[in-house]
Amino acid sequence: MKLDMHCEMILDEYRERLPLFEQIKNLVLEKLRTCFKENNVVVAGLEARIKTEKSLAGKLELKGYKYRTVDDITDIVGVRIITFFSDDVDIVSALVEKMFEIDWANSVDKRKMLEIDRFGYMSLHYICRLPQSMCTDPAAPELNQVRFEIQMRSTLQHVWANMQHDMGYKTDVEIPAEYQRNMSRLAGMLELADEQFSRIRREITDYRRNVQSLVASGNFDEVHLNGDTFRSYCELKPFQRLANKIAAINQAEMYEDSMMPYYNVLMHMGMKTIGDVERMRVDCSDGAYQLALIQLAGTGLDIVAYSVALQNLCIVQILKQGFGQAGLERLFIALYGETAYNTQRAARIFEQAKKINLI
Amino acid sequence: MDVTISNQDNKIFVTLSGRLDTTNADQFQQDIASLMECDKPDIDIDCSDMSYTSSQGLRLFLMLQKSVLSHGGKMVMRNMNPQVKEVFDITGFSNIITII
Repeated sequence: MKLDMHCEMILDEYRERLPLFEQIKNLVLEKLRTCFKENNVVVAGLEARIKTEKSLAGKLELKGYKYRTVDDITDIVGVRIITFFSDDVDIVSALVEKMFEIDWANSVDKRKMLEIDRFGYMSLHYICRLPQSMCTDPAAPELNQVRFEIQMRSTLQHVWANMQHDMGYKTDVEIPAEYQRNMSRLAGMLELADEQFSRIRREITDYRRNVQSLVASGNFDEVHLNGDTFRSYCELKPFQRLANKIAAINQAEMYEDSMMPYYNVLMHMGMKTIGDVERMRVDCSDGAYQLALIQLAGTGLDIVAYSVALQNLCIVQILKQGFGQAGLERLFIALYGETAYNTQRAARIFEQAKKINLI
Repeated sequence: MDVTISNQDNKIFVTLSGRLDTTNADQFQQDIASLMECDKPDIDIDCSDMSYTSSQGLRLFLMLQKSVLSHGGKMVMRNMNPQVKEVFDITGFSNIITII
């Protein structure tokens, strides 16, 4: 590739500035990672690259006349943020706007550039600078002078862009109408799929909110038992009082473990609604405490898991329903799988339950 | 409390024997300290000869389990005698630690 003197000069500037570009790339990535973490934003991908000399030379060969110096080329440092959902592109762009200085004159929202009768699948491109406050390295005072590009797109937009790139398809190249039409159909399908994913996510969020409010309002019989509803119910700490009482037997420390392993157990026990779980809690709490009392009193064991409350509630419910030792063994199999301990544990608890008239 | 730790086929085998209580909990904590620095440890604790564990022991097993999980590893305890297993059961620790 033969470049004129002006372009060679820009290439020399590029080579000189490579360490600075590297520093900017790393700083931008670090700031974005921290920002996403602080704002609980989960992205599908965060990547950055520095334009290779070969790629830059190609660009200069085509339109080197447009650039006065290397500073006029805004995509030497390029960062790409890939979100799971198209909705999230706006969230991520808002964060980017807060963090960096945006060169609005050169930034483009390619999502809005398409004519209404055409399909395509584009991303949001910002040309940015590091704000002075981030440029604290005295050895690199020009850190905030260099512009860099941040591209933001959804995963499906990313798929589209990569496929397009791989096939060498560019909108400014004349291609047969047949291929053009097929590409447009695909773009339309991906755009619809992206919208549907976002819609489904919104609906699931709404469903969870609805369930949470039903649970919080105490309409337990109207709430079907499933993983989500059980989690919402557990967030109300329904077993806290019983767990505290059990812990008080030995003035024990309580370890807050998850109740979720019990979700399958409750399903095995035939519970259909959160109301069924709540009834067990109300009806079996005394028995569950009595069982803990006979087991823990005098042992000096001063740490208990929070789940011991639900464990004992299930045991008492099974015994009250008349499922006996075999029922207890099935409970332990549901909890821990087939182990040699289940039979002896069921037998031991069955004997303890007899002593305190649970059966 | 006697503790032996050995490695075989990328697995760490720990054998416990005797009582684990306040008198030897500090020593046990030192014995297992190295296990808490391993990356993705696969720990198998044989309790055949462990005769008792106090709450202090439960706390140390819990601490070890947390460390193992945070390092992307796994831990199982096996061959507990009925007395030791009962301690895990009545405190709810059987729900936290994998016992086979």
